[in-house]
Amino acid sequence: MKTESEKYNKVLKILRNSRPQLDSTGDIEREVINKIARAHQNRLNLSEIIDFLFGWVYIGWVRRSLITASVILVLVFVYQQGVILKRIDLISRQTVVTNKEIVSTPTDEIEKLLLVYKNSGRRFPSKTITISEKEMKDLLESVKELQIKYKDLENLIEGDPELKKLIEKKLVENNRVKTNL
Amino acid sequence: MKRSWSKIIALKLIYEAMKRNKIKLIISIVLMIVVSCDEPETVVTNYVHPDGSITRKIEMRNNENSFKKSGLQVPFDETWNVRDSIEINKKGDTTWVKRGAKEFKNIEELNLAYKADSGANKKILRKAGFRKSFKWFNTEYRFSENIDKKLSFGYPVTDYLNSEELLFFYSPERVKQAKESGPDSLKFKALSDSVKHKTDTWNTKNIVSEWIGEFSKLTAGKAGDDLTYGSLKARQDEFIKIVELNDEKFDSLWKKGIILKKLIGEGNAMKYKTEADSALSLVTESYFVNFKEYSVRIVMPGKLIGTNGFIDTCKVLLWPVKSDFFLTEPYEMWAESKIPNMWAWFVSGLFLIFVLTGVIMRVIKRG
Repeated sequence: MKTESEKYNKVLKILRNSRPQLDSTGDIEREVINKIARAHQNRLNLSEIIDFLFGWVYIGWVRRSLITASVILVLVFVYQQGVILKRIDLISRQTVVTNKEIVSTPTDEIEKLLLVYKNSGRRFPSKTITISEKEMKDLLESVKELQIKYKDLENLIEGDPELKKLIEKKLVENNRVKTNL
Repeated sequence: MKRSWSKIIALKLIYEAMKRNKIKLIISIVLMIVVSCDEPETVVTNYVHPDGSITRKIEMRNNENSFKKSGLQVPFDETWNVRDSIEINKKGDTTWVKRGAKEFKNIEELNLAYKADSGANKKILRKAGFRKSFKWFNTEYRFSENIDKKLSFGYPVTDYLNSEELLFFYSPERVKQAKESGPDSLKFKALSDSVKHKTDTWNTKNIVSEWIGEFSKLTAGKAGDDLTYGSLKARQDEFIKIVELNDEKFDSLWKKGIILKKLIGEGNAMKYKTEADSALSLVTESYFVNFKEYSVRIVMPGKLIGTNGFIDTCKVLLWPVKSDFFLTEPYEMWAESKIPNMWAWFVSGLFLIFVLTGVIMRVIKRG
């Protein structure tokens, strides 16, 4: 049985004895030279591109301008975002209305109207107010209710000597302050 | 003594009013309340879009099925998409709800609607504004609703209230009520009293100032140097004292000309009684201008960055609109927001990388 090395030597011998016939060695030579030249040319293009893109770094004023522009851009960004964040923070601290606001006439408003009415010579602008029958009924009921409340109040004051005394005292004080013309 | 002072004073006021037979006054106020019951509770919501168009939604609630155009607080007509509904609460009370929506192509279209308004607040000059500013990294948007002031010679409320009182003054009623019944109720009740007292003084001063302004305008060129705006203004505090001291009998004293004599002297009072009465009428007209309250809400595009409004639970901005707010100064409800320009962020990032790479390459080559 032939050993593995014998087999190997035999194959090697056959390959050595059967070399390819090179008819155009010149073509092969040219092709090799072209390939080498192309590879060299590619390397040159990339470097040209880099030089083209970053050539400005060798021109003083362009370099300084671009660096200044970058710094300004960063500063503008930081400033804008800083201001916005501060404003958002302020908003987040604001009162949140717990429910949808319903328009109403608070007692303060009535008191304010009363004050204005008094100070403006107790007069409302001259205009016609149309009141429906239902509204008039409501008004009369309100007046009636008011009269009942007034009577209750009178009874309450009459029944509480301390309160009556206090109210009378305050009324006297109040009248003393006023100057009757 | 368990009775609180405020209660005693309130009782005193009612007792005093009744004692002096001021039923006329009380009826007048009741009348005003009854008349004002007719108007629906109205909330207007502006959905602002980045292109400047606005979707305006309105919600009106009333105890009766009555939504007369003349009684509505904001411009509303048949061009709106309307949806009616009825809500019945646990007690069985019925509320009629009218909801409407309309697209406004731009702010000019909305302002035209305000100009053509024939509703309850038609006499009040209102307008909206929209601004879009490109700021490279972000585009900022500003939307505002403005109401013109009523008085020409009034004083800004900021002269009378500090920042805390101003916040309370402009707060929606629910916020005020919640504060007054919350954990710091004593503090807020004191604040409320302080605001009330100061705004009363403010109101009186405005009335006197407005009267001086109107009266000097009416007598301009006719009266002497003692009735010019400047000379009357210099005596304003004196006028206020006279008015305050005689507030109980103001009406009869004014009619008799006694107050006027005190203010401008007997000779002038006889001569310019008509002008003084006209000036007072003008002041009254300005004060009692027909205005129905409502609420404004604004939804801005992008992230909200600034506002002078309140924020409700739905993260929507809210403003109550009351006549006091634009009495002496224009009332502006504004909101600002921003949308980031992602393309600008990307371009800026690329530029920074480019410059940084160049600088690094130079450093490497040099050394």
